[in-house]
Amino acid sequence: MPKVTYVQQDGTQTVLDLPAGTTVMRAAVAAGVRGIVAECGGNLMCATCHVYTGDGADGVFPGATDDEDELLDCTAEPRRDNSRLSCQLSLTDQVEQLVVHVPGAQT
Amino acid sequence: MTTHGYDFARDIRLEDLWDDPYPIYRRLRHEAPVAWVPAAGRYLITKHADVVFAEQHPELFSSREKDSLVLRVMGANMLREDDPEHRRLRAAAEPPARPRRVRGDWSPIFQRTADELIDSFADKGEADLFADFAGPFAAANLAHLLGIPQVPAADMIRWSQDMMDGNSNYADIPEVWDRALAAAGAVEEAVDEAVRRLRDEPDGSVISSMLHAEDPPTLQQIRNNIKVIIGGGINEPRDVLTAGVWALLTHPGQRADVEADPALWRNVFEETVRWISPIGMYPRQTTEDLELSGTRIPAGSRVALVIGAANRDEEVFPEPDRFDIHRAQRNHLAFGGGPHFCMGTWVARHEVGEIAWPTLFRRLPGLELDPDRAVETGGWVFRGLLNLPVRWKK
Repeated sequence: MPKVTYVQQDGTQTVLDLPAGTTVMRAAVAAGVRGIVAECGGNLMCATCHVYTGDGADGVFPGATDDEDELLDCTAEPRRDNSRLSCQLSLTDQVEQLVVHVPGAQT
Repeated sequence: MTTHGYDFARDIRLEDLWDDPYPIYRRLRHEAPVAWVPAAGRYLITKHADVVFAEQHPELFSSREKDSLVLRVMGANMLREDDPEHRRLRAAAEPPARPRRVRGDWSPIFQRTADELIDSFADKGEADLFADFAGPFAAANLAHLLGIPQVPAADMIRWSQDMMDGNSNYADIPEVWDRALAAAGAVEEAVDEAVRRLRDEPDGSVISSMLHAEDPPTLQQIRNNIKVIIGGGINEPRDVLTAGVWALLTHPGQRADVEADPALWRNVFEETVRWISPIGMYPRQTTEDLELSGTRIPAGSRVALVIGAANRDEEVFPEPDRFDIHRAQRNHLAFGGGPHFCMGTWVARHEVGEIAWPTLFRRLPGLELDPDRAVETGGWVFRGLLNLPVRWKK
């Protein structure tokens, strides 16, 4: 079962054991993880579920599509090489341990 | 809900909401966060957390409201559909409003619109930025975006207002229906003309995008959705535009901040739509019995997600009545949420926050409120300035 650690800017962490099939965004919203706003509910329109991926992300997610890529140019906090929209990070059994860093602002 | 809260909600008058809804919303959030308000014929949902819950559960809070007046004026459309039908229509219409296309295709046109309008009055040294700038700016830009650039801004504005008056014609006044249906007919004619042109020669417009979509809507669906976009796509950017100018002219420190650091225009935009949300509430209908903030809502109830109240919820925004572009917390709900998240979000952010405001403040030196004419504000379903008399150094 995938284990996802959400790390806030102040260092506080939320660790969730999640079933394959959900997304890093959906699980965060369901658990009330601070800082994952997800205004558009996963419809690739808003850029408010931005995360910086950390350990465990290499090679387990497909690359960003064009729609995600253009929204990553519009995030409130600066885009970095490890920026992703968490609604596009679908958890599979391939994902064992994943760390994502939540930016300080989403809008 | 407290008994007091219940009594308070029962006696709310629409004219008081229209004048200044914010003190009423504050009391509702505290005493009756989910309240049946007879004058509105709806449960008003006023807390940020409850509005977010409703937005995240479209299966409980449906957009397919029965007997919606919008359907009578505009016909079936994506605003009053749930997924998957909503998604299909939205996917066809959305590409021209996505951020990269806004910057690439539309930005030069928006800049030209702004400059031409300012050219028309710059020498006068005074203007009403509501009527002379914000309305025509939003309307002309939308005509281009939709694919009907030949339609004059004045016609766009009139069609939009006449249809919107019909959408809220709860008093059933025949003349209002007549005007609304005439406007809807005029939009259909303009769409049909565009369709004839765009069928063989696609361009970057919304009508073209719908026509040539992978799963294209019918002609009637295109007409109806263009009506909705005209109804909802002019007043909102207009109202953000005027509210933001007014906010800066009455908060000189923050004006100096943004004039010194243009990156702050983004903050001005987000804070303005939080502070005076142009769409103050939108309707939903419940699909099953449910309980929210301690109040039972029966299945089939009409509810109002009161964005204007949620965006001033003190549990989320400290000192919520204060305009402050330096807020740390900015997760306002001004664009709605979930599948219906505002399609015009990136257009509005760009045309207002990156084009209109910087251009106005740059080209009208010494811009200030006209001391002899008062600014008026009104509305709760839609809220905004009703005028914006200003002057500057010629």
